[in-house]
Amino acid sequence: MSFKSSVAAGVGHLSYSVLHDVFNRGSSLPGLIALKIDPDILYHYKDRYDFVIVGGTNGKTTATALAVQALKQKYPDVLYNPTGSNMKRGIATIFMSAPKPKKKGLAVLEVDEANIVRIVKYFKPKAFVFTNLFRDQLDRYSELYATWDRMLEGVRMAPNATIIANADDPIFNSVDLPNPRVWYGFDDQPMGDLEAPSNTDGVVCPKCHHIIHYGFITYGGLGAYFCPNCGHKRPELDYRVTAVDEMTSADSTVKFDDYEFKIPVGGSYNIYNALAAYSLSRFMGVDQEAIKTAFEKSPEIFGRQERVQIGDKEMVIIMVKNQIGVDTVLDMIKTDKEPFSFAFMLTALPADGEDTSWIWDCNFETLKEHDIPYYLVGASNYKDAATRFKFGGFTDVNVEPDPAKLIDRIKEMPTKRLYVVTCYTAMRQLRKALAEQKLIDGGME
Amino acid sequence: MATYQLQLAHLYGNLLNTYGDLGNIMALKYYGSLLDIDVASRVVSVEDDFKAADYDLMVIGAGQKFEQSIALEDIPSKHDELAKYIENNRPLLAVGEGYQLLGQSYIDQHGNKVAGAGLLSHRSELPADQEPIQDDLVVKTKWGLNYHGHENHDLVTYLGKDEQPLGKVIEGVGNNQDDDTEGAIYKNVFCTNMHTVLDRNGDLAKRMLITALANKYPDADLTPQREFKIEPTY
Repeated sequence: MSFKSSVAAGVGHLSYSVLHDVFNRGSSLPGLIALKIDPDILYHYKDRYDFVIVGGTNGKTTATALAVQALKQKYPDVLYNPTGSNMKRGIATIFMSAPKPKKKGLAVLEVDEANIVRIVKYFKPKAFVFTNLFRDQLDRYSELYATWDRMLEGVRMAPNATIIANADDPIFNSVDLPNPRVWYGFDDQPMGDLEAPSNTDGVVCPKCHHIIHYGFITYGGLGAYFCPNCGHKRPELDYRVTAVDEMTSADSTVKFDDYEFKIPVGGSYNIYNALAAYSLSRFMGVDQEAIKTAFEKSPEIFGRQERVQIGDKEMVIIMVKNQIGVDTVLDMIKTDKEPFSFAFMLTALPADGEDTSWIWDCNFETLKEHDIPYYLVGASNYKDAATRFKFGGFTDVNVEPDPAKLIDRIKEMPTKRLYVVTCYTAMRQLRKALAEQKLIDGGME
Repeated sequence: MATYQLQLAHLYGNLLNTYGDLGNIMALKYYGSLLDIDVASRVVSVEDDFKAADYDLMVIGAGQKFEQSIALEDIPSKHDELAKYIENNRPLLAVGEGYQLLGQSYIDQHGNKVAGAGLLSHRSELPADQEPIQDDLVVKTKWGLNYHGHENHDLVTYLGKDEQPLGKVIEGVGNNQDDDTEGAIYKNVFCTNMHTVLDRNGDLAKRMLITALANKYPDADLTPQREFKIEPTY
């Protein structure tokens, strides 16, 4: 290690301790400071750990945290970036704030897709875990194939790393690579011949450019795909969902490789997150029983879902940032057997994504299968949201421009439970108001 | 059942499908229902047969460049029928990448200039600073009404001699940084950079619907449709 690196690491470590004491949180500032002193500080840690890099649009944080719970059953020193700080400076901060492992540690790092190449420059991971790729906020930098190309730049620098990928996402099988491959996916349903809904992203066969078909679809464009034209198809699975025994809005009971797991939150996307964590843990030699224990004791790891009691009412707040997020949440909400009201809060600041056209691709109409007595749309872009619902054939939709007022308006709702599906900025506004009224802790979200 | 029936083609609707163009189709269906029209929509995509005479309305939407390139590969198989559709004054809405695709040339995902469908006379290029353009956009149309929307495009477009702009830019960028124009009109083809344009601008949905009705039902009295007032949604 160079003198510069030790100084940088020392300063970073010191600033972490200070910041942690002052703000009770580390943030990524220490990493930023250390990187200013030595931009290559990460080299310093390359021999102290084995590395796993987790990437993908949705589920990175959940899959990483779950896998770490399971891996801790076998590895004494497991490091990860739990705050979702997945840029280089956040990752530098993680290493600086950790005690030096006694023997070689394991670092499981959630890394932003565009940053994988910058991280792989410093150390060669044992494995990559790729969850899925969906269109995220609709800015022009995030076209699917451009994102995948950036991820591949990192993969090509680590040809010995095993790629553990979601087999149900066609994009991960679009390029031949020298790396060992491990595939996970759903294998719980009979095969038919389906096409994805026409507004699904990325449904073109990567080999021959025809529209791909599916034996079954789990959600979005994920499923047992095959190309009727060239025969390209989903690879053979190494780890699989063999049964989904029960799904409610609160939990799922599933079998992975015929072994039963209870997943303590609802939603098929969380089954994928758990399966990703399971696959990595199995690959690293953790047994099924240890994984089962890890899942069951970690309900707080899952998702951006928060339940708030307001008098005799319950507000369930779920943050969304894109069309696939909304659709998976709607599918989960629909499994609620109790009556509920529904609110959609739309904001379009840079943190939310300024282009709101994605709301037209959400399948809000699926809610009509449920007898929902009260709908509300709101937040600063409430007019766009109201138009979306009006054109979708919803009548009597209530409007509330101020997210904070949901706390009062929940009283007028005819159900005990209200689901609030909300963009980031509106969620911040609502949580601030909830904290002011002491309905939630006012800590950092 | 409504008095009038219109058939809409959602051209490459499973490829150019990223920027909410279902919203444009929902707007046509919604305003159609208020104007005594049933609008049925069908995706017409790669390898599908397309006959101009089968359709009264058409939408080609905005999407990703990879899928745009696949649509471009298929265009020759539909070129002549699409030209017939356009020259027969049928209404077509083209948004974003769909707008670029119909023109003479544009820049593909690899940064290469490629020949477009050649159905319209505009061309699209990289902006001088190569930065994507994202902004709220307000334009004054030749009909006097302002249209409101959000633009999100990485190419700038210059109109051909036989095209008129959809409007003059009041706020935002529009087609390019040079001539204050936004969108294009050729016969009854309406092109724009505004995503889900019909959701905030029902006036354009109404124009397309009435044009399609007048084409298909030349003897019908469309006074009630023409007098129908569109409520603002923005």
